[in-house]
Amino acid sequence: MTPETSANGDGRPVNRPQRSLAARLVFVAAVWSTIALAIAGVFLVSLYERASERAFDAQLEVHIKALIAEMLATNADASADQATATLTAPTYRGDPRFSLPLSGWYWTVRRADSPSILYASESLVGDPLNTPPIGQDDANAGFIVGPTGDEIRVLQQRITVEDAAYVIAVGAATAGFWADIFEFARLVAITLCIVGLGLILAIFLQVKFGLRPLARLRASLSAVRQGEAERIDEALPREIAPLAVELNALIVSNKEIVERARTHVGNLAHGLKTPLSVISNEARASGGPLADKVSEQASIMSTQIQHHLERARMAAQRRVIGVSCETEPVLARLIRAMGKIYQDKGVDVGFAQSGQVRFRGESQDLEEMSGNLIDNACKWAGSKVRVQVAPLNDPATNRDMFTITVEDDGPGLTPEQRAEAIKRGRRLDETVPGTGLGLSIVADLAALYGGTFDLESSSLGGLKARLVLPALSKE
Amino acid sequence: MRILVVEDDTDLNRQLVAALEEAGYVVDSATDGEDGHFLGDTEPYDAVVLDLGLPSLDGLSVLENWRRDGRTMPVLILTARDRWSDKVAGIDAGADDYVAKPFHMEEVLARVRALVRRAAGHASNELTCGAVRLDLRSGRVTVDGSAVKLTSHEYRLLSYLLHHQGKVISRTELTEHLYDQDFDRDSNTVEVFVGRLRKKIGSDMIETIRGLGYRLGAASDT
Repeated sequence: MTPETSANGDGRPVNRPQRSLAARLVFVAAVWSTIALAIAGVFLVSLYERASERAFDAQLEVHIKALIAEMLATNADASADQATATLTAPTYRGDPRFSLPLSGWYWTVRRADSPSILYASESLVGDPLNTPPIGQDDANAGFIVGPTGDEIRVLQQRITVEDAAYVIAVGAATAGFWADIFEFARLVAITLCIVGLGLILAIFLQVKFGLRPLARLRASLSAVRQGEAERIDEALPREIAPLAVELNALIVSNKEIVERARTHVGNLAHGLKTPLSVISNEARASGGPLADKVSEQASIMSTQIQHHLERARMAAQRRVIGVSCETEPVLARLIRAMGKIYQDKGVDVGFAQSGQVRFRGESQDLEEMSGNLIDNACKWAGSKVRVQVAPLNDPATNRDMFTITVEDDGPGLTPEQRAEAIKRGRRLDETVPGTGLGLSIVADLAALYGGTFDLESSSLGGLKARLVLPALSKE
Repeated sequence: MRILVVEDDTDLNRQLVAALEEAGYVVDSATDGEDGHFLGDTEPYDAVVLDLGLPSLDGLSVLENWRRDGRTMPVLILTARDRWSDKVAGIDAGADDYVAKPFHMEEVLARVRALVRRAAGHASNELTCGAVRLDLRSGRVTVDGSAVKLTSHEYRLLSYLLHHQGKVISRTELTEHLYDQDFDRDSNTVEVFVGRLRKKIGSDMIETIRGLGYRLGAASDT
C-alpha cells in the first residue's frame, strides 16, 4: 500500500482522507457474505443433486428388482422339460415408458460373459444399449449415451441362475433429472441473492448505526475547532468515550499552555518595561551626551521588546484550538474605553454593525487589532471616527469573512505614507506618543488569521483602515 | 493639588514622586497594593497614578475597591501589559486614562494634569480668573499679562483655588490638598500663604468667607 500523503507548501506532509470506515466495513462484510452464500449455494445444490441421484437410483433399483422377480417367476414356471432354458423372456412393463419406443426408459438382460442382449424392453428399438462393463461386481451404476443420443443413467445387477450369470440393466434418461437439479440451483441462486442483498443492507444499517457515535464525536470536535463549543461531549459509547476524554484533556492542556505563555509574556513585559522606564527617565533627567545615548538606546530596546513580545504572543495564539467571539461586545467595550481616553479631544466614535458577526479567533487579538486602529483614528481625527463591521463572503475561497473599517476625518495619508505606516516601528509623526508598532501588529495579526489589512483614503477626509478577518460560518 | 503614586518599583516610584513634586503637586506614595488602597481610601487625592502590577493587592483590584467604595478621584494607570484587553480592563475597572510602560515622565505629567483639570471641570490647560492666568503646562502665572513669581506652596494654593474657583474651600480642605499626609494640620500656615498670595495677585481675588473658608473669584464677581 502506498502512503496516502503528499507535502503542502511548507513541506509538511498532509494526510489525505482514507476510504470511509463505513465503506470498508460494508465492503468486507459484503465480500465475505457473498463468498459464504456462494459456498452455501454450491453445497446445497450438490446435496440436492446427491439426494436426487439416490432417489433416481432407488427408482431404477425397484424396476431391477421387479424385473428379476418376474424373470425368476417365469423361470420357476418353466417346466422341467425345458431345463436348459434358464430364463424366459420377461415382459416387464413396470412403467409405461418401458413400452414406448425410444422413450428413454429401457431394460436389458444379457449373459455376463457376452455382450449380446438376450432380452430388452419394448422401448429399446434399433441400436442396443451400450451398458458399461460390470466386471466381477454384483452391481454397478453409470452413465451412458442412449440410442437417441441422450444421457442415460444405468443400474446393472448380476444374478446367477443355475450356474449361468446374467446381467440385468435398467436405464432411464437423465434429462428430467438434470432439469430438476438446474431448476433447484436457479431457485437457490435467486434465494441466496435476495438473502445476500438483505444481508448487505442489514450490514450497512448496522455499520451506519454502529458508527453514529463516531459521527457525533466528529461533529463535537468540529464544533470545538470552530469555537462553537469549549469541550467535546463525553456522553459516548464505552469504546470511544476515552478518546473524547483524552481530546478534552488535550484542549484544556492546550489552553493552559497558551495561558501560561501569555502570563509569562506579561511578566516579562512587566519585568523589562519598568526598569526601562527608570533608565530612560533617569537619563532624561540627568542630561548630557551619555544620557542622550542611554535615552536613545532605551527607546530602541523598548521598541524591540514590544515587537518581540508581540511576536511571542502571536506564536502562542497559533496553538489555540478553535475559539471565537462576538465582535459587537468587544468593539463596544473598546469604543467606550476610547471615549474615556479621548474625552478631552471630544472625538465622536460612531459604531455600526450589520447583523451578528462572530470572529473566528481570540477576543484579545480582535481587541488588539481593532484597538490599535481605533486608537490611531482617535489620535488623528478632527472630531469624527466611524467604525463599521459587516459580514463578507470571500468569493475566491468561499470562506466566511467579515470586515472592520475604521475611518477618521483627520489629515489622512498619501499612498506612499500608507505603505510606510504598516512597516514595523515606523512612526510618521514623532510628536504623537506611541511605539509605531500599532499598524504593523495589526497587519501581522491579520495575516496570521488568514485575513488582510489595508489603508485607503476615507470619505470622511482622513484615513480608512480596512481589516478583513475570518468569521464563524453560520451553519 | 495632592497626588497619590502607587508603584512597587522603588526607583520608578521615586522618579514619579520627584517629577510630580517638581510640577507643583503634593505627592504621597505607596509601594504595594494594600498601602496604596488604604491611602486612596482615607485621604482626599486630586489624582492617583496607579501601577497595575503590584504586590499584595493588584492595581486592578485596588481600583475596583476604590470605585466600589465610592472613591471618585481620577486614576491614571501605568501598565506594562499593554495589550488593549489589559487597557480596556483597566478603564472598565474605573481608570480614567492609561500610560503604557516604558513611558516618558512628560507624558505622565501631561496625563495627570489633564485628569486633574478635567475632574475640576476645565477644558483648557490655561486657568484664568479675572486678571490672573495660570498655564498648567508651564506652571507660569501672570496677572494682567505680567509674570508673577510664586513659591511652590503659593503655587499649589493658587492652582487649587483656580481649579475650584467660585466654590467655597474650607481651610481643612486646603490643608488636605496642599500638604502631604505627614503635615501638622492644626498649624495656621494656610492663612499665612493666603495672605502672601493676596499680596502677589491682588487682595480682592481671594475672598474670606467667615467660618467657612475661602473663595477665589474675580473682583467684579464679588
